[in-house]
Amino acid sequence: MEGSPLKYHAYCRFDLEAASRGEALEELLNVVPLNKNSLRLIHGALEMREQAGPTTMTPGIAIPHCRSILVDDLTVVVGRSSAGVPWPEEPVKVMIMFISPVRPDGPHEHLAFISHVASRIRKSPEAVLNAESPDSLLGVLGLEPVHGGVDEP
Amino acid sequence: MNLDLERLIGLHDLDVMIADLERKEVQDREKMMGLSPEKAREELIAMRAEYIKNINKRWLGLYNQLTRHYGNAVVPAVAYRCTGCLTRLPTAMCSDPERNDRINTCPTCSRIMYWAE
Repeated sequence: MEGSPLKYHAYCRFDLEAASRGEALEELLNVVPLNKNSLRLIHGALEMREQAGPTTMTPGIAIPHCRSILVDDLTVVVGRSSAGVPWPEEPVKVMIMFISPVRPDGPHEHLAFISHVASRIRKSPEAVLNAESPDSLLGVLGLEPVHGGVDEP
Repeated sequence: MNLDLERLIGLHDLDVMIADLERKEVQDREKMMGLSPEKAREELIAMRAEYIKNINKRWLGLYNQLTRHYGNAVVPAVAYRCTGCLTRLPTAMCSDPERNDRINTCPTCSRIMYWAE
């Protein structure tokens, strides 16, 4: 997907305080501008997906995800925890959470984003884990910040 | 929001996840990322069996019937329209501030509707 004309936008929380997977998902979702009911339902869907099988992709990096009728567009939130969050046992430092919309033509956006993220992470997992600022983390992942949705370093 | 409506939205998203994990292209991508899609699908199906025990039988029956017929049973109402069949909805239904506090169905296609607020 590298070199693709598609541009993905993401929120970023670089200073997660969560001590558990559930808390981390909640902190990540809190930056998404949706009403509380929608956020609660999406949190439930993400938790169910994690309970069905943790989305730890590579040591230290997880990709919690779901598709939901509660979002109109692909919504991506990248989080980083310097202490690490048990996921559910091994600590995860970087989370790339994405919620894809449900479209009549299927999960194409979902699949394209998975490919994009996978290629970036496989290229250099160390660069993802060692990014020193929100901008550099999003840059390594090939994501552009949502205006006003990125923590100051 | 009406509790049954919340549960039906949750069931819809759960069914989407299960259906996605049945698709070969999704399985291939997830495996490429080191995940276990077959196991996750089996677990989600087991969770679904538990989840539906908490849904009112009347609404669950309607949900199943609509899913069989259309493929999707729950849709958002946007700009006074059902996004399932695009029918314009009655103004009174859409302007009711308590519209999400009960289950509304589209007068034309009968899909279950909710309003993003």
